Amino acid sequence: MPDNCVISLPKEHVVSCRFWEDESVVYNQVSGETHLVDGIGAQIFKFISEKAATRTVLLQNIINVFELETDSDMAGLFDNLILEYQKLGLLAVTENKTA
Amino acid sequence: MKLAALSRKAVIQALKTDGLRLKIGGFNVCLSSSIPEVADHLLCLYDAFDVINDDDFVDFYTSLAPPSILRRYFRPQVNFSFDGYYKFKPLPYKQASAMFEWGLNWCIASHSHQYLIIHAAVVERNGQAFIFPGTPGSGKSTLCAALICSGWRLLSDEMTLLSLADGLVYPVPRPISLKNRSIDVIRSFYPEVIFGEAVNDTSKGTVVHLRPPDLSVEQVKNPAEPAKLIFPKYEQESATKLVPLSKGRAFLRLAENCFNYDILGVQGFNSVGDLIDASDCYDFKYSSLDEAIVLFTELAH
Repeated sequence: MPDNCVISLPKEHVVSCRFWEDESVVYNQVSGETHLVDGIGAQIFKFISEKAATRTVLLQNIINVFELETDSDMAGLFDNLILEYQKLGLLAVTENKTA
Repeated sequence: MKLAALSRKAVIQALKTDGLRLKIGGFNVCLSSSIPEVADHLLCLYDAFDVINDDDFVDFYTSLAPPSILRRYFRPQVNFSFDGYYKFKPLPYKQASAMFEWGLNWCIASHSHQYLIIHAAVVERNGQAFIFPGTPGSGKSTLCAALICSGWRLLSDEMTLLSLADGLVYPVPRPISLKNRSIDVIRSFYPEVIFGEAVNDTSKGTVVHLRPPDLSVEQVKNPAEPAKLIFPKYEQESATKLVPLSKGRAFLRLAENCFNYDILGVQGFNSVGDLIDASDCYDFKYSSLDEAIVLFTELAH
């Protein structure tokens, strides 16, 4: 995944989120599915529900919040999570045209 | 006028002709039936309810009648209709009163989408609504019966109606359905409470309905604020155990127990979320009703 791609909630407010401590529930109006996410997943949705972020910014935030080592495993796990959520229609990944 | 003001003859007559019109919670219900036992069921368990005027709006027109003339005499059966539609298979005639309760549950659950409808008992003390979602066998009705017999207010034994407009729980106090072993448990616990006739051999076993307390019926216009969301589980011999439940997990379990979460879409999601925000959430395992009552009474202070 390119570092400068933008990760955001899907347009037209089709996804709603609620947050409690390290948990979040995410509701997709299109599929009607409700998902419980915790840990890193919850932090991803907490961050992007406030504002869209590039992969670099979001990954750095996760590393800071969870005090993780910066390594390729972490980046791989992060990318897999983003792709999984994207498949479920819970977030959008777009090319950063301003870069 | 309360139903108690009418004689048995008058109730039977009303049921046979234009139907008997009762205010049950926030709903106006009209029931027609030629079955005398239905009148006895209503007079025993709904005597504190208001009879509404003939020109008042009716939410649910219902009837209980044999499906055919043949079934009046040969292996007699009864069928429940709503607005002239028959949604259920007929049941044995002796289960008529239970069928009215189940049919009315269906009417409310299928047509009241101004509420998030949770399959849960709900009782109130000190202005706090305690909500007990539960699958059959979880012991929610037994717990609910024990609490209301100990002075708690009954809002509902079967369906918690959470208003989408203001997030409050609206009461629909009706007879509490007890099944099988829980009937004797509550009878021995509170010998003074009034029960309807036992209905045997239903798909749920033996069913008995317990009369709702007068005070709960009188306070039908007073909604309550949700305060505790407790998932009960009765287990023989188990110690009384109240364990905090994370809000995210409570959300999913609550949504699973809603009748109309999917129908309401994002409104349902927001409504469940608001309820979770407003409530402390727990798992509760118990076998002793005495201990449960003491625990919840302390929790309500």
